[in-house]
Amino acid sequence: MSTAVGTRRPSAVTARDLARATATRQRRGARFKLWAGAVCTALVVLPVALAGLLPLPGANAQDLSRRRLPPLSEGHLFGTDQLGRDLLSRILHGGQVSLTVGVLAVLVSGLIGIAAGSAAGFFGGWVDALVSRFLEAQLALPLLMMLLLVVALFGPSVTVITCVIAVAQWPEVARLTRSLVLVEREKPYVAAARVLGLRSWSVLVRHVIPNVVRPASLVVLLLLAQAVLLESALSFLGAGPQRPFATWGRIISDGQDYITTSWWLVTLPGLVIVVLVVGVNLLGDGLRDRTRTGSRARLRKGA
Amino acid sequence: MTPTPHLFPPPGPPSRRTVLRWGALGGTGVALGPLSACAGPTGAPGPGTLTLGLNRSLVSLDNKLNQFDAAVTVQRAVRQALTWIGPDLQPQLVLADRFEMTAPTAWSVRLREGVRYSDGSPVTVEDVDTALRMYGEVNGSFLLGLFPEMPTVEATGERTFLLRTERPVPVLDRLMANIHITPAKANRPEELQSGLGSGPYRVVSANGGAGEYTLARNTEYWGKQPPVDKVRVRFVPEESSRVIALRSGELDVVDTLTPDSAEQLAGLPGVAVQETPGVRICQLFYNFRKPKGHPLADARVRHALTYAIDGESLIRDVLIDSAEAAEGVVPLALQGAVRTGTYAYDPRRAKALLKSLDAEDLRITIMWESGEFAGDTSVMEAVIDMLKDVGVRASLRQFEPGGDILKWRQGRGGDWDVIGNGFPGTTGQALTSLQGMYGGTAEKERTRDTYMGYVIPRIERQLSDAATETDAAERDKKLAALQHAVWDTWPSLWAFAPKTLLARRDRVQGLALQPVNSYDLTAVRLEG
Amino acid sequence: MPTYLARRIGQSLLTVFLTLTTVFLLVRLAPGDPASAYAAPSATSADLARIREQFGLDEPLFVQYGYFVRDLFTGDLGTSYSFHSPALDVVLDRMPYTITLAVSAIAVTTLVAVPLGVWMARRADTRRELGANVLTIAGQSMPDFWTGVMLLTVFAVLVPVLPASGFTSWSGLVLPTVTVAVLQLALISRLVRREMSTALASSYVTVARSRGVSESALTWRYALANSSVPLVTALGTRFAALLNGVVVVEVVFGWPGVGSLVVRALETRDYPLIQATVLVTATLAILVQLLVDLAYPLLDPRVRLGKAA
Repeated sequence: MSTAVGTRRPSAVTARDLARATATRQRRGARFKLWAGAVCTALVVLPVALAGLLPLPGANAQDLSRRRLPPLSEGHLFGTDQLGRDLLSRILHGGQVSLTVGVLAVLVSGLIGIAAGSAAGFFGGWVDALVSRFLEAQLALPLLMMLLLVVALFGPSVTVITCVIAVAQWPEVARLTRSLVLVEREKPYVAAARVLGLRSWSVLVRHVIPNVVRPASLVVLLLLAQAVLLESALSFLGAGPQRPFATWGRIISDGQDYITTSWWLVTLPGLVIVVLVVGVNLLGDGLRDRTRTGSRARLRKGA
Repeated sequence: MTPTPHLFPPPGPPSRRTVLRWGALGGTGVALGPLSACAGPTGAPGPGTLTLGLNRSLVSLDNKLNQFDAAVTVQRAVRQALTWIGPDLQPQLVLADRFEMTAPTAWSVRLREGVRYSDGSPVTVEDVDTALRMYGEVNGSFLLGLFPEMPTVEATGERTFLLRTERPVPVLDRLMANIHITPAKANRPEELQSGLGSGPYRVVSANGGAGEYTLARNTEYWGKQPPVDKVRVRFVPEESSRVIALRSGELDVVDTLTPDSAEQLAGLPGVAVQETPGVRICQLFYNFRKPKGHPLADARVRHALTYAIDGESLIRDVLIDSAEAAEGVVPLALQGAVRTGTYAYDPRRAKALLKSLDAEDLRITIMWESGEFAGDTSVMEAVIDMLKDVGVRASLRQFEPGGDILKWRQGRGGDWDVIGNGFPGTTGQALTSLQGMYGGTAEKERTRDTYMGYVIPRIERQLSDAATETDAAERDKKLAALQHAVWDTWPSLWAFAPKTLLARRDRVQGLALQPVNSYDLTAVRLEG
Repeated sequence: MPTYLARRIGQSLLTVFLTLTTVFLLVRLAPGDPASAYAAPSATSADLARIREQFGLDEPLFVQYGYFVRDLFTGDLGTSYSFHSPALDVVLDRMPYTITLAVSAIAVTTLVAVPLGVWMARRADTRRELGANVLTIAGQSMPDFWTGVMLLTVFAVLVPVLPASGFTSWSGLVLPTVTVAVLQLALISRLVRREMSTALASSYVTVARSRGVSESALTWRYALANSSVPLVTALGTRFAALLNGVVVVEVVFGWPGVGSLVVRALETRDYPLIQATVLVTATLAILVQLLVDLAYPLLDPRVRLGKAA
C-alpha cells in the first residue's frame, strides 16, 4: 500500500480510465475539430491568398482553342472552362472576392449586432422593443428576395453585397449579445460602476461590452461560413459583383449549363466551397467546444 | 414496500397529448391535401401525349401580349388567324379562303365555309372586327409595333369583308397571321385567360401561374383531326433541367435550345436535334447617340473596330456552330434580305486603322441584359478579350432582366458604347426588321424612341419609300439598295443570326421547324 | 390567454404591415421599370406612358401608397402585371407547392435528425459520434444550389431514376426534399443531442432509472419529451423560413413554388405580385411562430402564456 513511488499513481484511476473519461474525450473531440478545421480552411485560404504568386495562367486569359479541357490536362490542374480559361486560377481569384466579401460582411454584421443587441439588453424598454420587433420582422421576411431587391436597388458592387449580407446576419449576433448582456447587467460590477457615478453609456461601452465581446465573437466563424454560402447563392441567382469578377457562385451557375458533358465546371468549385465552409464550421465548433469544456473545468477548479 | 410503477403521474388528462397528435396529423393532411390532385403517379408522358418543355412561362394562350416563338406554336393550336406564315415564309390561308389586295389600301377577304369554334358556333366577320379593335387597344403589345396601322373591317356579306388601311400596307396578309380570332362577345382588350378558339385543340386544364397547360383534340374541329391526342405544355426555366428531362424522356420536345444544350444532346440515342436558319439578328450595336467628334460617331472607326472581332472563332468555339455570321443587316432567312458584305478578322489592320484615325486609346463599355441571346455572357467575355488584343480596353455591364437597361438604351441611364441586342423577325419580312431598326427619325428621337439613336434621314426616306411600294419586284429592288446603304454606315461591331434549334425524342415525327421558331402542332405525330 | 393572443396577433399584424410598407417602397425605389419589362422591346415612350397609367404608376408615390393601403383593407392586392390575374390568386395557386416541399423537408429532417440526435446523445463523445457530427456539419456546409445540381447529375443524368424538374409526380419531390433536409440536419440533430445530454444527466432520469424504467422509455418518453420545447421552436423557425420560399432550390429544380415565383416577379418588376408574395409568406411565417408559441403549454404544462412573456 505504501509502496507508492513517484511512478505509480496514488489512485485507482488508471491512465486508461483517464483517457476514456468524458472530459478527455471531449477535449480530444474539440482538438480533432480544431485540427481538421484548420487544415481544411488552410487548404483553401492559403492558395486563395497566394493566387497571385502561384504559377497559374491568368484568371481571364482565354484560349478558345482549349475549351473545356478535363482536369489534369496539361497545364490545367482543374481543367478549363467554356472559354478556355484555367478553372483553378478562376476559382482562386474568385475566392479572393468571395472571401473578402465574407470577412467584411461578418465584421460589419458583428458591429451592428453587438451594438444593437447590447443596447437592447442593457437599456431594455423601448430600445429593446424596437430591436426585438426588427428581429421578428426579419424572421418573417423572405430574406433572399429582400437581398435581391436591395442589390437591384443599389447595384451589384462588392460594397453593396457586403452590406446586404451583413444586414442578413446581424440578428444572430444581436440575439446572442442581448442575452449575454441581460445576464451581465445584473452583476455587481455594473451596480458598482453606477454607484461610482458612471453614466449608463460608459458602463455599457467600457465595462459590459468588453465582457461580452469574447463569447459573442465565438459565433464569428460560424457566421463567416454562412456569409460565404450566402454570397455564392446571390451570385448564383445573378446578383453578384459585375463581370468579369469571377465569384464562386457565378462560376457554378455558368458551369451548370454543361453538367452533362463537363462535370468539373460545377463539381470542383462547389467542392472548394464545401472544403472551406466545412473547415470554418469545424474551427468554430471546436473553439466553442473548447471554451465550454474549458470553462467547466475552470468552474470545477474554482469550486 | 409496494412497488410504485409510476413515479411520475400517468399521462394526465387526455387533452394535451391527444391534441398534439391530432394536430400534427391534421396539419399534414391540410398541407398535402390540395396537391394530391396535382401530381400523377409517374412523371413520364403517356403514349398518346406529347409533352413540350418551354423555357419561358406561357402565361396565357392569348397572344396579345405574350408573343414569343414557342408560345405561338401552342397558341395557334387553340386559336387561329385568317392566315399563317408557311414553311417557306409565304402566307397561307387558314380561316380565310380568300385574301386578296383589290386596291392599294383595300383587301378583300372571305371566311372559309364551315369554320367554327370548339363549341360548334361559327366564326363570324364580327369576330374578326372585334379582334382587330381589341388588339389595337392593348397597351404595350409587340404586335402593334409590326402594324404600320390597324386595318378596319367593312363587312360586305355574311362571310366576306374588306380590310381597309389609310396608306398601302403591302404585307397585310402576313401581318394578319398574328391576329388570333376568338368569339366577339368574349374578347377584351387584354390577354384572355380562357375562352374558345377554332383550332385543332381545346384547353383541358390551364394553370397560367405555373405555365402548365393540357390540350386535347377539339372534336368539333372544322379541318382534319390532328394525329396527337393530348399535348402537355410545361414550363421548365432551367436550361440544364430541360436537357436532363429530354434525355430521360420526361419531355418530348424542347425548343429554343442554347448551343451548349444542343451540343450535349446531339448524338444521344433516342434524341434528335433539328435546326433551321433563324430570323432573329443578334448584334453588338453601336451607340448612335455619341456626340460629334467622338470616335464612334465616325463610321470609319466603327468599321475599323469590326476587324478586331474574330467572328469565325466566336461562331465555332463559343456559339458552337449554332449561328451564322451576319452577311447583311438583317438575317438572310428573311423575305427580301440581301447579302451586303461580311465581317472580316484582321487585328493588325484594326490597329493600323485605329491609329490612322487617332482612336488608339479607345475605351468602350459593352452592355447587355442577361439572356438577351443564347451564350450571351460567353460571347461578351470573348469579345473583350479580342478587343484587348487590338489595344482597345473594354468593360462589361450586365443587366439582370427587369433592370433598367431600357433607360440606358434610351441614353438616359449613362454612357455606353456597344449594346448586345437581339432583334426578332416575327413576320418573316426583312422590311419589318429594317423599319424597326433603321427607321428612326428626328421626331422619334425626341422621345428617344429610335433604335439606339440610329437616325439617318437618307436611310429613313428610302425605307418609307420601299414600305409603301405595292409592286413586289420593285419593292425588293428598293429594299436591296437600302440594305447596302445601311451596311455602309457600319451599325454593328459584329452580328450573327442564331440558328433556330430544337431537340425532340425520336418518337416525335413530322415536326417541321420554321425559321420563325415555331411549328405546326397539327402535323406532329407520335410513334412508338 | 385571450389578451395574450390578442396582443400577439396585434403585434404580428403590425409587423406584417410594416414589412409590406417597406417592400412597397423598396420595389418602387429600385431601378427598373415595370412598364418596360411588360411591354415589347419595340414599345415607344408613349406606349410606356400609357402602360404606367394603366398600372397607376404615374401617380405620386404617396398617392399610390394610399390606394395600396385602401385596397389592402378590402383584400385586394392588385392585378399581377405578368399574369394578368389577381396577384393574390397567383400566389395562392403556388402556395400548395411550397407548403408541400416545406412539410416534406421538415418531416424528413425530423425523422432523421431526432433519432440521430438521440443516438449522438447516448454515444456522446465517442469516435462514432464525432464522425456523425462532422458528417452533419459537412451537410450544412454545402451550398444548396450545388447540392441540388450534384443530386441532379447523379440521379437524373448518370442514373436517371428521378425526374429533373417540376412536380409532375411524387418522385419529383425526392431531390428537392433531400437538398433542403441535408442543410438542416446538423442544426436539429445537434440541438437534440445537447438537450438530450442535459436531460439524460438530470436527476429525475437517474431516479427513474433506479426505479427500473427501461432505457428506451427513459430516452423517448421522459428525456425527449422534456426536450420538446426547444426542438419544436427550432423546427418551427426552420419551417417558417422554408415557407418564405426556398428560392435557390426551387430555381434549381424548377419547382413551381413561391420561391421561383419571387425570382420571376422581380425580373418583371411585378409590384403587385411581389407585395402579394410578401404578404402571404410573412403572414404564414408569423402564424407558424404563433402556433409554436401556443404549443408550449401543451408540450410543457409549466408554461403559462402571457405571464412569462
